[in-house]
Amino acid sequence: MPDRRCKHIFTMLSDYLNAELPVKNCRDLECHLKGCEPCIAYFESLKNTVEACRQYQVRKIPAPSQKVREALLLALQ
Amino acid sequence: MNTQIEEALKTLQSGNRQDVERAIETLQGVVYGFGMKVCGSHEDAQDTAQETLIRLARQLREFPDARALAVWLYKVAKTQCMMSRRKSKFAPLQMLSLDALMPTDSALSPAGTRSWQVTPEETVLKEELRGRLEDAILALPKHYRLVLILRDMEQLDTREVAEVMGISEDTTKKRLHRARVFVRNALAGYVQDLREGESKSHA
Repeated sequence: MPDRRCKHIFTMLSDYLNAELPVKNCRDLECHLKGCEPCIAYFESLKNTVEACRQYQVRKIPAPSQKVREALLLALQ
Repeated sequence: MNTQIEEALKTLQSGNRQDVERAIETLQGVVYGFGMKVCGSHEDAQDTAQETLIRLARQLREFPDARALAVWLYKVAKTQCMMSRRKSKFAPLQMLSLDALMPTDSALSPAGTRSWQVTPEETVLKEELRGRLEDAILALPKHYRLVLILRDMEQLDTREVAEVMGISEDTTKKRLHRARVFVRNALAGYVQDLREGESKSHA
């Protein structure tokens, strides 16, 4: 990392993406990002990773087994 | 929490026959999908879905609150995944050090960060990128993998993930960040390899 400030910012990026960072830390982070291109790029790449995870869907879901259907339908009686 | 799950559970709890079949399909999709992401194996995912949903049948009347039931559902599914016959697929228990994951100067150089700009070629390769994402997630130690899947894929909030995992919210946040950085680094390497391959083929 270019400097210690960047390292500190690095530890806060996920909380910031989750909107769980305290307001003061948010201000510090945003202020740093304005002037640090490598950190902006890293932040964007982390954001893209999270987005890729959010969009990921498992394909080919098999139908529920007969045993499952029967158990759930029985529980409703 | 994914509202689709809560709706499906509410439908089952209400016993409204008309929508029950669809609710069962939805829950099968949720639990099987979770099992696939965690275990990476169809057989394990199918076992997870079957065992979890049969246990759900016994609990339907016990939880008045659909959200609490959904958290319970993930807890059971998580335990089933951990007990799966093919559990050797889980990486040995290990910690991810934040220092080791810290980006290097080269990762933050213009060449390193350029690898994240999307090009038309990458759209074509989306399928392969998807495979890489799956590999990166399965390479995560299990307690990081579970947190990332629950938070970023199943879209539970931090409190719910902490509840499912039986850990504090603070630990949940730390594990999540390390897991995201691990996956980010795994994908960055892949995209960069592609770029280098392309440059060589164009030389």
